[in-house]
Amino acid sequence: MILQQLINGLSLGAVYAVFAVGFTLVFGVLNVLNLSQGAVFMWGAYVGLEMVRTLQLPLPAAMTVAVMAAGLLGVVTEWLVFRPLQRRGAHRWMGMVASLAFARILIGAAQEVFGTQVIRYPDATLVDATLVVGEARIQGLQVVALGVALAMVLALGLLLKFTNFGRAIRTVAFSETVARLVGAPVARVRGATFFLSGTLAGGAGVLWSLLFQSVSPFMGDTILLKGLTVLILGGLGNVAGALVGGLLLGLVEVGSVVAVGSGFRDAVGFGLVLLILLTRPTGLFATREAKRA
Amino acid sequence: MSDLYAAYENVIDLCLLNAVLAFSCLLLLRVNLLSLATGGLMAIGAYLSIWLTMREGWPFGPALLAATGAGALAAAGLGTLVLRLRGDYFAMATLAFTEVVRILALNADPVTGGALGIFGIPKYTQTWQLLALLALAIYLVWALRRSSLGDRMRAIAEDELAVAAAGHDVARLQLGLFTASGAIAGLGGALAAHLNLFVAPSDFGFLRSMDAVIAPVLGGVWNLFGAVVGAAILTVLPEVLRFSAQLREILIGAVTLLAVLFLPTGIASLPRLLLRRGRLA
Amino acid sequence: MPDLRLSRRRVLALSAVATLLPRSGLGQTSKVARIGLVQSTTGGSAALYGTEQKQAIELAFNEITKARTLGDIALQAFHADDGADRGQTVNIFQRLIRQDKVVAILGPTLSNSAFAADPLAQQAGIPVIASSNTAPNLTKIGDFIFRTSVPEDQVFPTVLAYGVRKHGVKRVALIYGIDDALTRSAHDVQKKAVDALGLESVGIETYQRGDVDFSAQLTKIKAQKPDAIILGALAEEGAAILRQARQLNLDPKTVFIGCNANISAKLFELAGPAADGILVGASWFAGYDTPRSKAFVEAYRKRYGTTPDIYAAQGYDAAYLIAEAIRRAGTATDSRAIRDKLAGITDFEGVLGRFGWSPERDATVTPKVLIGDGQAKVFAAAPAV
Repeated sequence: MILQQLINGLSLGAVYAVFAVGFTLVFGVLNVLNLSQGAVFMWGAYVGLEMVRTLQLPLPAAMTVAVMAAGLLGVVTEWLVFRPLQRRGAHRWMGMVASLAFARILIGAAQEVFGTQVIRYPDATLVDATLVVGEARIQGLQVVALGVALAMVLALGLLLKFTNFGRAIRTVAFSETVARLVGAPVARVRGATFFLSGTLAGGAGVLWSLLFQSVSPFMGDTILLKGLTVLILGGLGNVAGALVGGLLLGLVEVGSVVAVGSGFRDAVGFGLVLLILLTRPTGLFATREAKRA
Repeated sequence: MSDLYAAYENVIDLCLLNAVLAFSCLLLLRVNLLSLATGGLMAIGAYLSIWLTMREGWPFGPALLAATGAGALAAAGLGTLVLRLRGDYFAMATLAFTEVVRILALNADPVTGGALGIFGIPKYTQTWQLLALLALAIYLVWALRRSSLGDRMRAIAEDELAVAAAGHDVARLQLGLFTASGAIAGLGGALAAHLNLFVAPSDFGFLRSMDAVIAPVLGGVWNLFGAVVGAAILTVLPEVLRFSAQLREILIGAVTLLAVLFLPTGIASLPRLLLRRGRLA
Repeated sequence: MPDLRLSRRRVLALSAVATLLPRSGLGQTSKVARIGLVQSTTGGSAALYGTEQKQAIELAFNEITKARTLGDIALQAFHADDGADRGQTVNIFQRLIRQDKVVAILGPTLSNSAFAADPLAQQAGIPVIASSNTAPNLTKIGDFIFRTSVPEDQVFPTVLAYGVRKHGVKRVALIYGIDDALTRSAHDVQKKAVDALGLESVGIETYQRGDVDFSAQLTKIKAQKPDAIILGALAEEGAAILRQARQLNLDPKTVFIGCNANISAKLFELAGPAADGILVGASWFAGYDTPRSKAFVEAYRKRYGTTPDIYAAQGYDAAYLIAEAIRRAGTATDSRAIRDKLAGITDFEGVLGRFGWSPERDATVTPKVLIGDGQAKVFAAAPAV
């Protein structure tokens, strides 16, 4: 039973992690909270599902399309919401309010297009394999989700660390003024960051809908709150922290169902956030970037 | 006129109530604090006042006072813990507070009725009370602006470190404001409970807190009537757009987004802007 | 999916103030009974139930108008969407009562909204018939509040007793949505029935709205090896629980017993074969074999292209009941007379079967025990023991 719960927690946490990494990336680079991330997650899920249902694409192709579409939606968010605000030097909470309003538009549009009912992937598209380890059962999908999640985060890590573009992103994250001084293409970096962040949100959306077989216009609301929790656990703007924080939150949630009772599950998650903030005011894995916030 | 009031009494009451709550956030926004604790603090005030009026047989007045005090006390306690957090960490800590309160309320059946909520709450809240409270809030903010405290708040908004370096106790001022905002939220919670006859924990979550912040931002944080205008728009918009069931959500989002993007100083500054443009032309 | 879109577009077209009378009809009638129709057509899962009820009520009004059963009285429906938001429900009730001067209100969709808004109607002396509010104590708001939605406590004990007789259920686990009034009130009834039958409860688990992963709770339940798992869940959540229980390899002999909200085509669509064998108690199901019910299902399918769910059936009966009360009262404006005639109806032959009011103005119908058929994707009457 403990093994099974560990698997339950990790596969849930993997999706949290992918979502939160995208979330934290934008924060790290632009120092803003993009509250439309949940809606991008939802649109990613819908695009993936429609590719399979309507266009009969195989799953990997559908996922690629969904991830790209979500990335573009991220770019649109930057262009439509954050760039005008940044240009006039608006206060940071303007970004929060504006991105939440944008999310409302996206959710309304999804209701308009797809209806309000919960839908899911057709049975035939699903990996049906099950791994039995002792008492525990691991779904093929859980393994795939965990793998894809780790691959996405790893690819992002490599991109940030070893490519010129990654260096540019990190420079902008460190300081936009410094980046301008050394001639980094700041505007392009901002757009690219939103693209990457969108792809991660969309990827998380597809994984989520595959794992839990549930797509609805409101699916982004829940994960937005989870993402915020992970953001704090890992430290704002800290990519590695978000990865660990996501997995941690998955385990904590499952652990609190086992140990405390499911009625208090979310109170445990948020209680943990409060506790961590009180002892470490910039998150569990505070770094230089995080402290800057 | 009285016909109009009869048909839209609840809309008017909600506008006034939301405006009062917007003021509790506006005080904090003016010193660079974005608080999402409104929902949690409202819940404390609401449940306390319901308990006092329905179980202990208190009259409405003292129950309101108790709710105000409880809100202030809770905010003072929370503020002592979380006010040293900066920026978004502060916002998230207050959000965590609100969510923890909501979940405790869901589990505290004997007091809150859990998700089933409490119904049959006597309707004590009157329009004139809300109106008087709002007038008081506007007066206080107006008076505050003309005091030395108001100057210091403006300075903190510009540069918190500089104010601290000049020897002013920024932390104490912020704690004082947070406590005041908690008092308003507690009072607002009690008024809301006795306005709607029914209360459930879902009334006091993330969205409730977010709405209280959005109203002043939308209306204009530094405008005296910003909170009122913002709250009125957020409350009336869903009613006005009722002609279109599905597009409503999209339109509400679009109006908010456009206002934030194109009216940097808030919707309440629109008349002045138009006036100025008129003069130029 | 295409049928759904079709019906939603129709909702859009009708959503403002819908006059359900052909123009020619209006000319011949002298009296108009104005009826408020407060159903959520936006606002999450409530929109699902709200839309079904709105469609069924409009269908009923159309039929009544065509059949001219009310003589010179015409029915006019004022629909308003409250977006499943209680504040808006109150706004709407106020406007309907004070400005539009309705004589009766059908709705609202959610119990929580009803608790906030119904007192206004009670005060104003306007009868209200709910067709999806199942929370306990709702009609205690006052003598103008009625409902055709059968509260869970009228059906669940029958189903549980059936499970005990048929499957020898002794140990049960319960799972429910803690932050939703509908699932929470279902759970309260279920818990009481479990205690009343002296069954052993080996675990109570909860989840929150928006949850889609129930594996932690189910893993915990699995370790307790219950004979039955009792669901206080909406159809979408119930479906996910059924499917994930299969994935976790729960003992296939475990019986699932659902609640009213599970009686929906959505359950089968989302759960697939995992919904096989689930037991529910209901006041109605689409395969209910009476002439009245069959005619309703056919008419609904013809007009909207989908099979009506239980909320549609209850809404349809609510519409006919208010029309019948207006007919008996012979007035289009006297809401008190209409209320008295409504309360006096004891012999109404509705879609739900023979219909009457309990002393608390709840619907009284014979509960039916249903079993899910995952292959055919329908509920059928459960075989007798």
